[in-house]
Amino acid sequence: MSIMKLLSIAAKAKVVTRRYPFEPPVVTEGFRGKIEVDPKLCWGCGVCTRICPPNALTLKKREDGTLVLSYFMGRCIFCGMCAEVCPRGAITVTKEFELASLTAEDLVRDVKHDVVRCRICGRVIGPTVEIREATKSVGGAEAKYYDLCPECRKLVVARGIMTKVGVRP
Amino acid sequence: MGEQGRYLPECPEMSEVVRKLTEEYGGHVIFSRESEVYIEVPRHELKDVAKYLYSSGAFLKTCAAVDERPLNRSFALYHIFGMDSKGYDVIVKVSAPEDDAWVPSTVDVVPAADWCELEARDMVGIELKGRRLVRRLVLPEDWPEDIHPLRKEVPHDFRPPSVKAESEFRPPERGIPIGPYHPVLHEPEYFELLVEGETVVDVYYRGFHVHRGIEKLGESPRFTYQKIPFLAERICGICGFVHSTCAIMAMEKAAGIRPPERAEFIRTIVLELERIHSHLLWVGVAAHVLGYDAGFMHTWRVREPVMILSELITGSRKTYGLNLVGGVRRDIDKDKMEKIMKTLDRVEKEFKELANLLVSVPQIRRRAQGTGVLTRSEARALSVVGPVARASGLYRDVRKDYPYLAYKEASFKVPLYTEGDNLARVLVRVEEVFESISIIKQLLDKLPGGPIMHEKCSAIIPVDELIPPGKYAVAAIEAPRGEDVHFLMTGEGRPYRWRVRAPTYQNIPALRPMLRGDPLADAPLTIASIDPCFSCTDRALVIDVRTGRARTIKLWDGGVGTCRL
Ligand code: SF4
Ligand code: SF4
Repeated sequence: MSIMKLLSIAAKAKVVTRRYPFEPPVVTEGFRGKIEVDPKLCWGCGVCTRICPPNALTLKKREDGTLVLSYFMGRCIFCGMCAEVCPRGAITVTKEFELASLTAEDLVRDVKHDVVRCRICGRVIGPTVEIREATKSVGGAEAKYYDLCPECRKLVVARGIMTKVGVRP
Repeated sequence: MGEQGRYLPECPEMSEVVRKLTEEYGGHVIFSRESEVYIEVPRHELKDVAKYLYSSGAFLKTCAAVDERPLNRSFALYHIFGMDSKGYDVIVKVSAPEDDAWVPSTVDVVPAADWCELEARDMVGIELKGRRLVRRLVLPEDWPEDIHPLRKEVPHDFRPPSVKAESEFRPPERGIPIGPYHPVLHEPEYFELLVEGETVVDVYYRGFHVHRGIEKLGESPRFTYQKIPFLAERICGICGFVHSTCAIMAMEKAAGIRPPERAEFIRTIVLELERIHSHLLWVGVAAHVLGYDAGFMHTWRVREPVMILSELITGSRKTYGLNLVGGVRRDIDKDKMEKIMKTLDRVEKEFKELANLLVSVPQIRRRAQGTGVLTRSEARALSVVGPVARASGLYRDVRKDYPYLAYKEASFKVPLYTEGDNLARVLVRVEEVFESISIIKQLLDKLPGGPIMHEKCSAIIPVDELIPPGKYAVAAIEAPRGEDVHFLMTGEGRPYRWRVRAPTYQNIPALRPMLRGDPLADAPLTIASIDPCFSCTDRALVIDVRTGRARTIKLWDGGVGTCRL
């Protein structure tokens, strides 16, 4: 009896298993997969690394002073919080999920940032893109000090004023 | 504490409890808010207080041990009593000075306190006076004696060297092991069944193999209130949204904010979707346990559209990542509403047909009827929760007893059976699927407009400032497996203590009365019938030896835990 009923249910349902990977899987428009960071937009500010729940995004400072925003998919939980907080809109959440690989290195994406050093004392001021963008928005007289650290900038400005008023520094 | 000494007199029963505890037992109110009152009583009164509360209708939700030495040089144990029929919680605190760290055990009067007392001893190092059987529950055998992980001086990433312990575990001669992996549930657990011939005479359980230290992690500098929902969601792979919502509800209570109505509706809808997929998953597994694999596959086929729907609404099939303190991250638009309605109609129709078939299969009925019986009084003594309670005639449902989120806006039945057997537990869950479908439809019809995030909150604004230190909150949600409880004590920027009590934690001790006296062949089904979620519970055990017999078989040195009924 029940066998007959089950057969009728099965006949109605037909085959539902997809022949993945020969057929595409069902991925809805709401799906969140791995993220991509646009190196042209990213500032290296690190806001995304602070919100990332599993620390899949990290900002590392190399010995040569350069900054690296490193994304490790092996830890990523695909929450998309980073994309929500990035002030530059540099992060896109893709629908990609077929990330399996034989080596862990394949799961790392690095965005390298050159840094601007102070032209007088040589200290690292910040990521090049960030400084450049910030300078653009400030413009004018400030812009010419873009490659000075705050301390050296104070000195230079003070010296300038003193020269103007005729006091020898 | 902020609202010191205040309680809400408008609830007469609550005032009566408060009066009794303060006047007769020397207690004082340390904190209160609508539907919660925190009362500290002298420790020598604890047993009497527990007896009074338990006999006046309270259930024990759990107890939570806290290392409060940095605050006041003492340890504390909070017993959370839920007055289900009145809809409020009484949290009883007892303190023990650091150099005299003991509290009286309440197991004799509140059998449901068994596990959480042992956990307090393992994790915080509070001794329990007057307990007959004391053993380790959570910590592994090779963990050093004097290290209690939830003490504040122990770093969250501390890994002590393993100490050579003579194994606490001794398999009895007649035991039949089920584990260390459950053959069907594919989760680590260890049951040892004592049999005489074909009849089970006793049961032992050892769990907590997958304890991940999530509570400790949540207190560590690695985490902030903003990130905890994502961590909480990973407590369970099936009902993760329950945990994330429950943790958030506790945080929102502590912050004194209420998410916009629309967000509450969306959370409720997703919680019910989660119940549907969880119950369908379980019905399938139950069919599989009974050797009816066609039933298993068809149930899961019917379930699949619910998973796809969850992904559409939240971004992921599971671990939705939808919740933030203050609201939800994604809205449900017209198009999605239509898709939800369409999917639910289909699931309703297909599952009706399938469920009717499943419960009418004579082999299934024979195996499920009259097996694994849990009586109402056993269920009451152990404060069991969810479908297990409701199949034993115990009317308990957080959605009705402590209405939260948008549940007041929907009318729904709570299926109740009195048989207490495996069949009753099947039927409760089957009916609940249809109730959940109806709840979602009603809520979609009424979905209010407006924002989905509280104006003070967003992904970018750190919520840490909104949640002041030194606050308490208890939140509970009716998960697919029963009541899930989160207890929160706030600290600077993160919890000072975050205690999670998953439903299975409360239900596993009930397996002992269920399994005893039944044929061995029914054991796998009975174990599966509580829909156990071991990972949740382990954030598990041994059930004690029957001492009444002429020959006592000891499984653990120094005795085992009790659930005396
Ligand atoms: S991705 Fe965005 S948030 Fe992250 S470092 Fe770059 S600019 Fe900052
Ligand atoms: S998607 Fe989530 S887990 Fe992944 S990098 Fe972004 S914030 Fe981190």
